[in-house]
Amino acid sequence: MTDTVAESIQELDQAQVLRTAAGSRRRRYLAVLLGWLVFIGLWWLLSLWVDSEARLPSPGRVFQEIVIILQGDFWTQFWASIVRVVAGFLAAVLIGTPVGFFMGRSKYWGNFLQSPVIVAGSIPGLTYAVMAFVVFGISFWGPVLAVGLIAMPYVAINVAEGVRGVDRRLVEMSTAYGRNETQVFRHVTVPSVLPFVFAGVRLSFSLAWKVGTLTEVFGSSKGIGFQIRRNYQLFNMPGVIAWVLLFVLFMLLIERFILVRLERRLFRWRQWEREA
Amino acid sequence: MARVAIDRLSKTFPPPTKGGDPVVAIGDISLDVEGNVFVSIVGPSGCGKSTLLNILSGVETPTRGSASVTEGDRPAHLGYVFQDARLLPWRTVMDNMMYVRDDGDAGAAKAALYLDMVGLSHTHDMFPGQLSGGMQQRVGIARAFSVEPDLLLMDEPFSHLDAITARSLRDHLQELWSATRKTVLFVTHDVVEAVQLSDRIIVLAPGGRIFDDITIDLPPRSPRQKPLVSRRGWPLRASGRRGPPPPSRGTRRR
Ligand SMILES: Nc1ncnc2c1ncn2[C@@H]1O[C@H](COP(=O)(O)OP(=O)(O)OP(=O)(O)O)[C@@H](O)[C@H]1O
Ligand SMILES: [Mg+2]
Repeated sequence: MTDTVAESIQELDQAQVLRTAAGSRRRRYLAVLLGWLVFIGLWWLLSLWVDSEARLPSPGRVFQEIVIILQGDFWTQFWASIVRVVAGFLAAVLIGTPVGFFMGRSKYWGNFLQSPVIVAGSIPGLTYAVMAFVVFGISFWGPVLAVGLIAMPYVAINVAEGVRGVDRRLVEMSTAYGRNETQVFRHVTVPSVLPFVFAGVRLSFSLAWKVGTLTEVFGSSKGIGFQIRRNYQLFNMPGVIAWVLLFVLFMLLIERFILVRLERRLFRWRQWEREA
Repeated sequence: MARVAIDRLSKTFPPPTKGGDPVVAIGDISLDVEGNVFVSIVGPSGCGKSTLLNILSGVETPTRGSASVTEGDRPAHLGYVFQDARLLPWRTVMDNMMYVRDDGDAGAAKAALYLDMVGLSHTHDMFPGQLSGGMQQRVGIARAFSVEPDLLLMDEPFSHLDAITARSLRDHLQELWSATRKTVLFVTHDVVEAVQLSDRIIVLAPGGRIFDDITIDLPPRSPRQKPLVSRRGWPLRASGRRGPPPPSRGTRRR
């Protein structure tokens, strides 16, 4: 009897929770949509006022251009950019992770590597873009190098933070129960550092895209950056804006649908973690 | 039967501030514990109780002297219940139980058995963050028992819990202990708790010295176990039929 009452109360609660969740999600989507509408509206008004396609084309004109691009070589160009950014990113993670690991593990290495990493992290992206162009000229490797250099410090600093934050008490527990170093590394160190690696990747992701694209503007014969420059040289302003918009849209999609989902899946346990 | 042999053990930590004095956590302790006894270690905060257990479990190394835990002529197998639960937050309860064992599927049954004993058989697939503090601590206790240790170290396992949860866990510990009869070293602040549970109480003084060593020689201990062994209503047993009052006639040996 009490059981059934308790159960039905619980069910009611759950239904309530679900309904509220759905409601708040709908409201969130509505807000996002509204934001875009306001943005496009303002743009439209501004373009009416400027009244010059060469300076500020109207949203409709840009939309036409987007359709043309999508029907044309959009995917080839995007693919070229993606491959470079991902390659640069992989390099950053492959180098940044061990560097960060040493920084977090030993004071000596921490001090030794700290200044170079911080300096590397505070150099403006444009510098890397120019540097990559000077080193490689027009090539596939220029953007890769620039992306790698810009993302590496973020990954390293975050990994170092993660390694320093490994809970000593969990390591002690492992020792007391006779776990060996490999087991401690795999089951304690890696899981506690992983969220930090991920944070580093997410932090530097948009930055890396920007720098990669910037490098393409002058150091490439393919990719979104190159397309922006080409349209600019042809005085095709709608084309420039169309490519920029596609670029922004694409980044948002990757962020929302790949990074955020991956993070949620990987760190399911964090949802319930209550910090004391 | 595990044997704990501590010989002129001391542990000094480096000074916490520059130019300060080193911290003496343990100052010259000698101690022998043998057989299936329940030994409590009591003493004020900072007198080196946790440090002593950490040395015995290999987490810390002695500064001077020696400490060994043996079972026959091999090193003893240990279980350790910490002041806090110390579960891996990224592993489920069951995976946490399995983390401390090396026997794969064969061990899963054992892990499940001990989880059941602390009333947590429904939590196998839950993450520690989904459990209350008391439940997490129970997982910690189940984990320590499930490795079937020769020596069980417990460091104020109930001190973070409310009185009612602490009491029911204490009863539960007594049940588990009378069923398994391990050698237990149990650290506590609480003298009443020590008297209720132990065969022997070691009192430490600040500076990590042995202040007193009391043997509780109490035959009526056995009838008291009867109601405690019968398992009913866990963890709601708050009425707690106690046995005879705490011993007033512990023989004191020095
Ligand atoms: N890793 C460490 N580094 C430096 N000092 C330490 C360390 N561990 C313990 N100490 C010091 O050693 C002393 C004894 O600490 P310990 O944790 O053993 O006390 P305790 O008896 O368990 O106290 P409590 O009852 O409060 O848990 C304290 O003064 C503490 O500051
Ligand atoms: Mg302590």
